[in-house]
Amino acid sequence: MAPVRCLATEAAQPLPANAESISPTNTHFKITLRRSALALGEKKQKTLLSLGLTRRFQTVYLPHCPSAAGKILLLKELVEVENVPASAVRTKQEQRQERKAPKGYVVKGNKLRESPWDI
Amino acid sequence: MRPSSVYLGGLLWKVPWKLSPTRKANTRARLKKVDAVIEAVRSSGIQCVALDKALQLPKEHEMHPRDKYTMFSATTRGYRKGIHKMPKWTRLTHRVNPKGF
Repeated sequence: MAPVRCLATEAAQPLPANAESISPTNTHFKITLRRSALALGEKKQKTLLSLGLTRRFQTVYLPHCPSAAGKILLLKELVEVENVPASAVRTKQEQRQERKAPKGYVVKGNKLRESPWDI
Repeated sequence: MRPSSVYLGGLLWKVPWKLSPTRKANTRARLKKVDAVIEAVRSSGIQCVALDKALQLPKEHEMHPRDKYTMFSATTRGYRKGIHKMPKWTRLTHRVNPKGF
């Protein structure tokens, strides 16, 4: 049977029951430093430090609050911002683990760690 | 002795008086990126004074090309000069100029 075509003028379908998990509410800012604050003054450099950004292309997650918003707007020319849900927040260590490539092998055991008198 | 750039050291740095099409395109892209940052903060739903001020800035598509590529200058003929003559212009916001100039 041929697929049914819908006109764009038809009413939108109601959201399914698990709409919350499909499009969760965004609770955090994902802030990435794209341009440095060199020669832009102490205020902007210290603001970057207060956000936790110490080098270019570093990513930091901050919960939504007016102080974070104000800091972002002070640095709006330097920074890239995205709104993400709480499930997308990653710590520095977690980000590093995600960047690592799989080694292609799994260590099953270590003969050197067994008793030295075993042959 | 005429204090020209050649006499004073023999080195000459030339700065074009207007932006090339490439530089203009990059300027427009930078303005759009800043617009995206302000939009992200606005869509987060937070209210703050900094956001109120940022929303008063014109967006890239609302700006006249004269405001994107030139800035007001009280001492220049025509009262306008290239925006690239402002130090750190690629990392600063300068969208609004005095009315009538």
